[in-house]
Amino acid sequence: MNPPALAQGVRFRRSADGQGVLLVPEGVVNLNDSAAAIVELLDGKRTIDAIAAALGERYGMDNAVVRSDVEDLLQRLAEKMWVAEAATAP
Amino acid sequence: MVSRPLSLLAELTYRCNLQCPYCYNPLDLSAYRPELDADAWCRVVDEAAALGILQLHLSGGEPTLRPDDLCSIVERARRREIYTNLITQGTFLSDELLDRLVLAGLDHIQLSLQGAHAQLADSFAGAAVHERKLDALVRALQRDVAVTLNCVLHAGNIDGIDDVIALAERFGVKRLELANAQFYGWGLRNRAALLPSREQVDRATASVQGARGRLRGRMEISYVLADYYEVFPKPCMHGWASRFLTVAPDGRVLPCPAAAAIATLTFENVRERGLAEIWQHSAAFNAYRGTGWMAEPCRSCDRKDIDFGGCRCQAYLLTGDAGATDPACSKSPRHDLVGRAAVGSSAAMLPRRP
Ligand code: SF4
Ligand code: SF4
Repeated sequence: MNPPALAQGVRFRRSADGQGVLLVPEGVVNLNDSAAAIVELLDGKRTIDAIAAALGERYGMDNAVVRSDVEDLLQRLAEKMWVAEAATAP
Repeated sequence: MVSRPLSLLAELTYRCNLQCPYCYNPLDLSAYRPELDADAWCRVVDEAAALGILQLHLSGGEPTLRPDDLCSIVERARRREIYTNLITQGTFLSDELLDRLVLAGLDHIQLSLQGAHAQLADSFAGAAVHERKLDALVRALQRDVAVTLNCVLHAGNIDGIDDVIALAERFGVKRLELANAQFYGWGLRNRAALLPSREQVDRATASVQGARGRLRGRMEISYVLADYYEVFPKPCMHGWASRFLTVAPDGRVLPCPAAAAIATLTFENVRERGLAEIWQHSAAFNAYRGTGWMAEPCRSCDRKDIDFGGCRCQAYLLTGDAGATDPACSKSPRHDLVGRAAVGSSAAMLPRRP
């Protein structure tokens, strides 16, 4: 399985007030804090496991729980074609 | 507190070598000169970034008629971390221009076709350009930039929607926008000829639904509804002066690309006043901001924070009052204005003139 990455034409950034947003061809998508924290780690190098581990450590949460949140979000982003690799179970 | 705008539509020029009868550009195209030069546009980009703008849409007219200026503006926007989207009909997208734009940091190209087949498409474009557009599409898809294929739907081409979807599939397009024509500018002038029948719209909607299911995960299809046939109006611009602003070729700042038609408002110019000042303080921007300006039936309607009373420009163009409920709304006392148009006629289309 390839590490997930933002699709071509999709960028993440923070707006002036710190809000995490996804800039996509269709417009500007506001992300909530947990979604922004996940998307920020999508660099095409980190695997889903690595992302889950990093976030689990940062927020002191169980990796399995974080992992399922990450997979859910990636699944939704993949449906809109905003991430290049769909989250598939290993 | 006035909200921050998210997107800026920069209309570089209203000039265009095509003559689409549905063009939303104003009829008095020559009134928008002189055009802002590249330096002025770069200043607009700087001011937009300071104002919190995240996306810049470069359009017109045909923005690639100013290739050097276009590249400079994209480069400046990229430097300010603004996402850039080029809206083009593609007839001037040479390899050289594409490469320069990608190098400048262009994020996305929206390329429009007038239909799936050359003969019909060219009859609306007013020139033999379909093949050249397809060639541009192929070359754009090969580059490091995202591409959306767009087709405006109207009575004359909407029955060919399946062929447009098939064409997109054949070319490996990942994003397709199918947009029912909106009636502003030349489009309003040609409304009688452009407005599809309800049956045509229903068939097209069914085609889109079928294709979405079939192509899920391979192609994202966005569909702009035909508001004349909806129960409620479109949430135009997500509310007047709430998220979007437009700078016309001559520097006039508008809350909506069609707003210059509203003769009861005066629009300020970036040559004379800063973008942030205009956004916050211009009388035209504040005229229909929020919901306080609304009269009945909008005032007491539970959808007023959903569709914001519809489109101010459409309200003005059809009723003469920009503060009226959009006649596209079934609750509008002037909904008959839309119904009467929808009865349909086969008037001739007047090609857009430069
Ligand atoms: S809609 Fe047609 S005529 Fe109008 S600017 Fe676009 S390509 Fe040119
Ligand atoms: S009455 Fe006004 S607010 Fe209510 S649905 Fe119609 S346009 Fe929207």
